[in-house]
Amino acid sequence: MAYLQARRDFLKIATTGVATTVVIPGSLGALGEVALKSEDKFIRSICEMCSSRCPMEARVVNGKTVLLQGNPFAKEMGTSLCAKGVAGASQLYDTQRLVKPLIRLGKRGENKWREASWEEALSLVAGRLSALRERYGARSVIFSAKTGEQYDLLRSFASAFGSPNVFSHWSSCPIAIESAFEHTFGEKLHRDFENANYILNFGHNLFEGLDIPLTKAMAHFSANPSKKLVVLDPRFSVIASKANEWHPINPGSDLAFVLALLHVWIRDAKYDKKFVEQYTIGFEALAQSVKETTPQWQQTLTGIDAKVVERIAEEIYAASPKCIIDWGHKATTTKAEYQRSRAILIANILMGNVEREGGIYFAKTAERINAFAKEMIVPVLNDPYPRPLVNEKRLDGAGEEGSANRFVSKRHGSLTAIPEAILAQTPYEIKGWFLTRHNPLVTVAHPQKMKEAMEQLEFIVVNDIYLSDTAMMADVVLPEATYLERDEGISKIAFKTPCYAMRNRIVEPLHQNRSAIEIVRELAERMGFGSHFVWRTVAELRAFQAKGDSVLLETLLRRGVASFDVPELFARESVFVERFCERHPKCNSLLDSNGLLSSMLTQLKTPSGKIEIFCKTVEKAFKGYGVPSAVDMDVKQGYPYVLTSGKSAVHTNGHTQNIPYLNMLMSDNPIWMNPLTAKEHGLKQGDTFYLKNGISKEKGTVFITEGIRPDTLFAYMGFGRDAPMMKRTHGKGMNPSKLLSLQSATLCGAMITNVGVEILKA
Amino acid sequence: MPKQYRLLYDENLCIGCQACSVACRVENSVPDNFFRLQVHVQTKGVFPNLGMSYERLSCMMCENPPCVSVCPTHASFQSKDGLVHIDEKTCITCKYCILACPYHARFVNPLKNVVEKCTFCYDTRVSKELLPACVSTCPTEALSFGDMRQKGSLVEQKSQKEVLVFPKAHLGTKPKVAFIPSRKGVKV
Repeated sequence: MAYLQARRDFLKIATTGVATTVVIPGSLGALGEVALKSEDKFIRSICEMCSSRCPMEARVVNGKTVLLQGNPFAKEMGTSLCAKGVAGASQLYDTQRLVKPLIRLGKRGENKWREASWEEALSLVAGRLSALRERYGARSVIFSAKTGEQYDLLRSFASAFGSPNVFSHWSSCPIAIESAFEHTFGEKLHRDFENANYILNFGHNLFEGLDIPLTKAMAHFSANPSKKLVVLDPRFSVIASKANEWHPINPGSDLAFVLALLHVWIRDAKYDKKFVEQYTIGFEALAQSVKETTPQWQQTLTGIDAKVVERIAEEIYAASPKCIIDWGHKATTTKAEYQRSRAILIANILMGNVEREGGIYFAKTAERINAFAKEMIVPVLNDPYPRPLVNEKRLDGAGEEGSANRFVSKRHGSLTAIPEAILAQTPYEIKGWFLTRHNPLVTVAHPQKMKEAMEQLEFIVVNDIYLSDTAMMADVVLPEATYLERDEGISKIAFKTPCYAMRNRIVEPLHQNRSAIEIVRELAERMGFGSHFVWRTVAELRAFQAKGDSVLLETLLRRGVASFDVPELFARESVFVERFCERHPKCNSLLDSNGLLSSMLTQLKTPSGKIEIFCKTVEKAFKGYGVPSAVDMDVKQGYPYVLTSGKSAVHTNGHTQNIPYLNMLMSDNPIWMNPLTAKEHGLKQGDTFYLKNGISKEKGTVFITEGIRPDTLFAYMGFGRDAPMMKRTHGKGMNPSKLLSLQSATLCGAMITNVGVEILKA
Repeated sequence: MPKQYRLLYDENLCIGCQACSVACRVENSVPDNFFRLQVHVQTKGVFPNLGMSYERLSCMMCENPPCVSVCPTHASFQSKDGLVHIDEKTCITCKYCILACPYHARFVNPLKNVVEKCTFCYDTRVSKELLPACVSTCPTEALSFGDMRQKGSLVEQKSQKEVLVFPKAHLGTKPKVAFIPSRKGVKV
């Protein structure tokens, strides 16, 4: 934790000196100096150091990127960018990057390779994938990628290939909240941090898991003395340090706290009755479900005094509707993660903050804005990635009637179901896996089992920047171009107003690297379904997407983003509605008797068309899950401690740990432990010890800090790499995934990241 | 008219994310494992009464710079705008300035064998009317920079409004970097 070091180390000279350079085959280091060609200029693009995809700009001098910063044409960004984003060039010029395709020599996972030409590598991949389809059927091949344009691309490729088995990273991250939204509103909503007066936060640490527009809004919120931020987190995180109140809640028990809030509001009839009546269904079932969940009841589960719940309930009610109960994107992760997420959404609903300034709101997409304006004021894009329905059962049963994963999105799947499906070859034969920039051996639970499963596969192809733990298991490794070397299609950003952004190449690819778009397009051609994509090059893709709108394309090329001077619109705020109707008078015909656009809330994509506090279909399949209820909060499983994990501001999941500038700031992940706990086990700062549970026994180093509950441990994610090619990271720290089981959260299929452990002396 | 630069660091907005530190490294090619600028975050107090301190460490661009007065070759000098610079050609790496600096802001660049420190990005940015790299990239706008003589500028306005702390003010070095201390300290 270099950046948490004491002041005296500030200017400490590195004792290691210059390490002996060992040249990795296929890496940038093996090539020596690479000549760069490009003019000196400003280029605007999209960051890809994490999933937030912030618009950014690069100053390019002599063909080399000089400084990356935020794209000021994107209003909420300004020139701001996080440490990871700014370090983009450090990844680009990293000598440990892959620059040539590699083909496996020796046994799978043995890490013996030979360099190959793209021609050889791609024809091998095309041939082997086609052979698997021929022999075992298309469904025998799994496709996985991180969510984003690459995932849309791979999913489209998989559907042309004929496999239903497409996975995104969702189940290892936001799937619970995404399902909760689906069942409550039929779509996802956003938070108006800028204008809220009160925010109740459950471990959504925007100051370490950064998303610039949200982080910036939250920073200004927390620094404003007239606003109030309450944080519940077992760990004293950076956001906890900025809060007015921090409550070190028992890990896994957020749900109990929210249920008690709901209980108090309903008990005292202090909630937005009109809103509930007009826009929701199922309130009665909720009232019944939270009858017993009193503040006193939650006290034993959360460790938070009953009086605190009473007080907070009253404060939020007083602040409503300019208040937000923040759902985060993944926080406690217990078996009850879906119920927790739903309870938080419903708490917001009871406060009547939906479509209100300072509350929560529906994304104002181009389609939605055009519909309200009753004219085309924002161009609508073509989808360049067709996805014809593959009418086959998925290996994880996602979306399948009668399956435990019936409510899991077919588009994203549940990653933790993969190992068993491969090992048992059920429900059918699984023989291949195509991974694009996806590293499940670091980021998904129980990588030991996943590795065992991968060993059984006949063919694995990995597209990545580094020879990662997962890439090491491949037959063919395709060296992808980093985001600074890639042109891509147009992506949609829709918060309060619609906006488009486009990734523009900052520098020419350093050597032989190719983008996933080029790779997949080429494979489709070789495998005989090139006509699946109507475009051949990225330029054609963009033109097709923009429907030939040259003004839009030029704006995106020059500015990186395109916005459309659409007035902000909250459907239940008369000032905003009037302003919108003034500009777009045809909207007047859509107004209700109060002059508001209430139809935005009554024509939802839910079965009832309304906001569903009670979900009938869910209740039918999972008794007790139709409304939020007190279930499955135990995260200790009989062990004395809970291991939790999370992000740091300088690293992203399994992606950035080896990047020189970021590795310099944090190269290890010692485990956070309260001094009382450390004393009990005779551990001193920096001692090694073992974390043990039924899954594994892993060695860690202790970081003793007051900033955590005595019964909780915490580790930053993404360390404990086995891949020797990632030299800066290899063998450093502990991979918390290795202690997680493959059991997923009920109904939503989320990976469970809080786990019971015991501490053993090394 | 010479400028009167000021850099304001608002601890209330700082989240210790190190974007400034990386931006500084990229902009100024700071050698690996050295820092012209860092932010240290420390947890203070005893569970559960805790607070975090955020401390920004860099050259303070003193009005009365001890590093300049001890320099035997005048390699460390003050410009007419009051900024403290190092002339790499005249620096003999005697390290007197490193010892004299009360802010531990200087180090020997092992690649060039000369003393180095924060320059407010004067050469590459400020002289071209751009903000220093750290100020420009800060995700939360915790930093502001500008000329105090320019009425209505952000630094001038914020300096009027906020309580400012000048690090080690008792030494009389008169830093040009000022801190707005956190309103959320350790709860006792």
